[in-house]
Amino acid sequence: MTDSRSTKCRMTLFEISNLAMTELPADAAILERYSRQVKFSGIGEEGQRKLLASRVTLCGVGALGTVLANHLVRAGVGRVRIVDRDFIEIHNLQRQVLFDEQDVADNLPKAEAAARKLRKINSTVEIEPVVTDIDHTNILDLVSDADLILDGTDNFEVRYLINDAAIKLGKPWVYGGCIGSHGQTMTILPGETPCLRCVIESSPPPGMAPTCETAGVLGPAISIIASYQAVEAFKILTGQTHLINRNLIFLDVWENVHRSFKIARLKEQVDCPCCKRRQFDWLEGKMGSHTTTLCGRNAVQVAHRLADRLDFEQLSRNLEGLGPVTYNRFMLRFAVDGYEFTVFPDGRAIIKGTNDIEKARTLYAKYIGH
Amino acid sequence: MAIVVQIPTPLRQHTEGRDTVEARGSTIQEVLDDLGRQYPGITQRLFDGPNLRRFVNVYLNEEDIRYLDNLKTAVKDGDTISIIPAVAGG
Repeated sequence: MTDSRSTKCRMTLFEISNLAMTELPADAAILERYSRQVKFSGIGEEGQRKLLASRVTLCGVGALGTVLANHLVRAGVGRVRIVDRDFIEIHNLQRQVLFDEQDVADNLPKAEAAARKLRKINSTVEIEPVVTDIDHTNILDLVSDADLILDGTDNFEVRYLINDAAIKLGKPWVYGGCIGSHGQTMTILPGETPCLRCVIESSPPPGMAPTCETAGVLGPAISIIASYQAVEAFKILTGQTHLINRNLIFLDVWENVHRSFKIARLKEQVDCPCCKRRQFDWLEGKMGSHTTTLCGRNAVQVAHRLADRLDFEQLSRNLEGLGPVTYNRFMLRFAVDGYEFTVFPDGRAIIKGTNDIEKARTLYAKYIGH
Repeated sequence: MAIVVQIPTPLRQHTEGRDTVEARGSTIQEVLDDLGRQYPGITQRLFDGPNLRRFVNVYLNEEDIRYLDNLKTAVKDGDTISIIPAVAGG
């Protein structure tokens, strides 16, 4: 049994090396590069060719996103568009595996720094960095030519936007989220599996859930969740959607928890506004944040539409380790990293210390969360 | 009957740091009500009026209660209820 399998492998490699000597040297060199992956029966030469011909949009290249991009580019996914609004800071290096101290010193945007590193890893992959804030005005342009969308973001606002776009366009996507030592992931095949809104009907209101800034996050938890996402990407891109994980995976690396919750039946059970009624509230700009610069005040106002009222007691507890926090029933104030936040019960926040809308949205997602 | 309820990290501030709590009841609702009697702070984190908050999912063993009988789902000795909030970061 073992002998016949190894013979088969040898023959395949023999055929490849024959090709190298005759008509398709470049092709054979490519297959040699991925030979250990081609030998894996689940991918094979046919699967590798599909990966080489495929196109992925990766939304966010922070912690999850750098692990995802690393896997995709090393595996030979042909075209990878990486979209991120943020710059690299020193505290990113603990878990964002593509960045180094020089990137911080050079003050590079994450998408650009990641692209530079990824091109050194695999110059045969076409990498397109896009430094922008993903919102309802640009997401369709960013994902419409992709075979798959991957979630490397850190907030539900963009995830619901990805979900709307993916369901509308009929494109698969893979959700991943991580905080502290725990994380979760699920794979969405439009028309076949439940979508994000079927499973997580609404995001935690701002301030209600911890963020990586308020609760911390461990690199290994990130690596595991992103690696699950990457394997799902390989299955989808090689046309093997029957193999995808159809459960919600939840794990906690610190507490030795690994759970797999059955969610497939939610597709029939939930009257989902997105995948059943095809209401694309995020894509149409009816949900999400509304951000404006406050002229002459070096401040930006971030307002969440239809946000529930904030729980100041909970938000204050989340933030108390980061800087001074005070609140009354009308507003909560705190200061961190030179920015002053004034937060109102309806979810609106004025962030003083910047005129940069994207920076303000990033700060809101980091410290108040959404 | 006593049912094990697994408490996610963000809610443990309300359960004196415990990651699992035993609570009594014959349905999910009754068990969560008992959980709230033992640890009053947790009810407001789980419920918005009579309904579960929409970003909190509850599983009976490995099954999502929304395709069972939701809060009326019957439970028995040996069952585990897991509270899984949406994980935002990344």
